[in-house]
Amino acid sequence: MESEELQGIIDHYAGEKGALISVLQDLQGVCNYLPEPALRQVSDALHVPLSQVYSVASFYNAFSLKPRGRHHICVCLGTACHVRGAPRVLQEMERQLGIRAGDTTEDMNFTLESVNCVGACALGPVVVADGGYSGQMTARKVSPLLKTLGTSHEENQNDS
Amino acid sequence: MPTLTIDGQQVTVPEKTNVIEAAKTLGIEIPHYCYHPGLSVAGNCRMCMVEIEKAPKLAIGCFTPCTEGMVVFTNTEKVKQARKDVLEFLLSNHPLDCPVCDQAGECWLQIYYMQHGQYESRMMENKIKKSKKATSIGPHVNLDQERCVLCGRCVRFCDEITKTHELGIFGRGNREELDVFPGKQLDNRYSGNVVDICPVGALTDRDFRFQVRVWYLGVQDSVCPGCSRGCNIQIHYNRNRPHHGHGRRVARLKPRYNSHVNQFWMCDEGRYGYKFVDAGDRIISPMLRRGAELQMATWGETLAASAERIRAVNPSQIGVIAWPQLTNEELYLVRRLFVDGLGCKNVSFSVPSKKDGGGDDFLITADKNPNTRGAGEIGLPIADSTGDILQAASRGEFKLLHIFGHDLLSSGLDQPLVESALAATETVIFQGSNSHLTVDRADIVLPSATFAEKSGSFTNFEGRVQRIHEAVPPLGDALPDWQILNRMARALEMGWDYQGTEHIFKELAENVAAFSGLSYCVLGDQGELLGYKPTNEAHIPTEPVTTVII
Ligand code: SF4
Ligand code: SF4
Ligand code: FES
Repeated sequence: MESEELQGIIDHYAGEKGALISVLQDLQGVCNYLPEPALRQVSDALHVPLSQVYSVASFYNAFSLKPRGRHHICVCLGTACHVRGAPRVLQEMERQLGIRAGDTTEDMNFTLESVNCVGACALGPVVVADGGYSGQMTARKVSPLLKTLGTSHEENQNDS
Repeated sequence: MPTLTIDGQQVTVPEKTNVIEAAKTLGIEIPHYCYHPGLSVAGNCRMCMVEIEKAPKLAIGCFTPCTEGMVVFTNTEKVKQARKDVLEFLLSNHPLDCPVCDQAGECWLQIYYMQHGQYESRMMENKIKKSKKATSIGPHVNLDQERCVLCGRCVRFCDEITKTHELGIFGRGNREELDVFPGKQLDNRYSGNVVDICPVGALTDRDFRFQVRVWYLGVQDSVCPGCSRGCNIQIHYNRNRPHHGHGRRVARLKPRYNSHVNQFWMCDEGRYGYKFVDAGDRIISPMLRRGAELQMATWGETLAASAERIRAVNPSQIGVIAWPQLTNEELYLVRRLFVDGLGCKNVSFSVPSKKDGGGDDFLITADKNPNTRGAGEIGLPIADSTGDILQAASRGEFKLLHIFGHDLLSSGLDQPLVESALAATETVIFQGSNSHLTVDRADIVLPSATFAEKSGSFTNFEGRVQRIHEAVPPLGDALPDWQILNRMARALEMGWDYQGTEHIFKELAENVAAFSGLSYCVLGDQGELLGYKPTNEAHIPTEPVTTVII
């Protein structure tokens, strides 16, 4: 991201109290993560110490300090999903993508994460992929899900 | 001024006092981690829980202001259980590596566990590993994240006291970590203080780590000689393990509370500036020049030689460059001996240094001497500046120069002038603790004790007279400057017989108006201002004496 673009975001919230979180949210929206140079710029522009910017950025799960993949998969490990077999779903995801939860594939295609409840216990085990919920997941359904995501990605690329 | 009852005892405290402080005045300690009287209240550790009558549940003592009629219990079963539970949480991810932890012996996890914990561990899970262990995060401080209890004291110190904001707590839940921003350093002029206020072994001092176990340390109150602020300190010295710590007898300096001077803090320059005390360049024997060489001699020989040379010249041919590192008592004796006794008129004391002292708007002052004010009050310099004295010396007007401490040859003085002054003077007597270029040019060398090896007092730039105490004996044959002067006066048959620094101070207070009314008893451990007016009441120290580790 260019620093002018970031300055645009910052100016948008200029003068607002507590602008930090809003700026970081927009930044995350544009870049998919919070690049370090951008955090330094935010700190300077908002006169918030770097240590505090970093505290906020590392506190919320919605922010990532590492570049994230084009597709974002989140496996729920809340109690209800857990007892219905979510760990096996997660394991299968990790096996097929070749990464641990929290990591991103080398081709930057997928980021895999786990959460401790998305509030859709009745559908459990739940996987949230690019914002879409897939309920009653099983290990067997992992492969088709990844395929759909992968294709949609290719389509997007063809579109552009 | 609310009156409340704590554990059955009544106490009246100023408005807004919290329960921890109120209890402290009764001698009741409420255990706590995150609360520090010099910082804002965070209320995050929950260790300070107390029971308050009519309150539905336990309250934290640090964040509960005292109110009229409040009834507090600090030791009920409920409170005891709460402390146990908090400790169990705090220790659940703690590595328990006390045997290799430098904090052991002064760690509040150890102390409170023994006092309030003592539970059976129920931990079956693996502990969460944190990212940094034994990592340096700045020139003076080492970080060990697993040992951190996330009390946030160090973060608040950097936010509120130095306002440099280097530290933060990052992440959340059981993965929270204390750290600096990636690529940044904890590098400010007061960074060592975070080690003092860290209640556990998470932040340790790179200078002190693994030098001596803290239980081998002795403690002596003193005053930092690093600048004219005169921060109150404790000298921690190696009491009985001389073979530990590479022969360093003084192991570390710690700030000592004084509300008038430094509150709870001290600067890094002062904190780590004591190395000269045990440095290899200490002068440990009197020396006399024999031919081209300075040779070791006895005190008897050296003092006799000095007295002989002093007697041989006219007082107007003597130049004295005193030293604002000397105590009030010693400066008084310098005046008594050279000015009042011999009638010498050429006494200066300050020598400009090469670099700027870099004072700031907190503690550090530009004048790097602890007793410039004292020297002035005692009536030094007489007439001349050091520059003038050297001018006169280089013109051959002096037969004898008595130099205290200063290294004129690496000072901010005009160097050719110093050279020609030293060359033109027949006898140069040097009296000081450490060797340097100027010492090599002396004819008589009198080894003196450092601030850690003697007693006396300094007057800070605001006129507060504060006491220092001997922590370790003078190295080798060195003697405190006041003793050297006392012996020299006797060699000159001046009829002196000072029995100790208190004896000298008493006389000083009688003879120098600014010091009148002062005595060691009045100075106490917090010092007292010049121009003190004794009241009829007995002298009672106005501040509670608080130790550094709180
Ligand atoms: S490093 Fe020490 S002072 Fe800082 S938060 Fe951790 S325990 Fe508290
Ligand atoms: S501010 Fe001055 S007196 Fe205080 S610790 Fe630093 S050098 Fe010593
Ligand atoms: S000292 Fe009160 S909550 Fe930490």
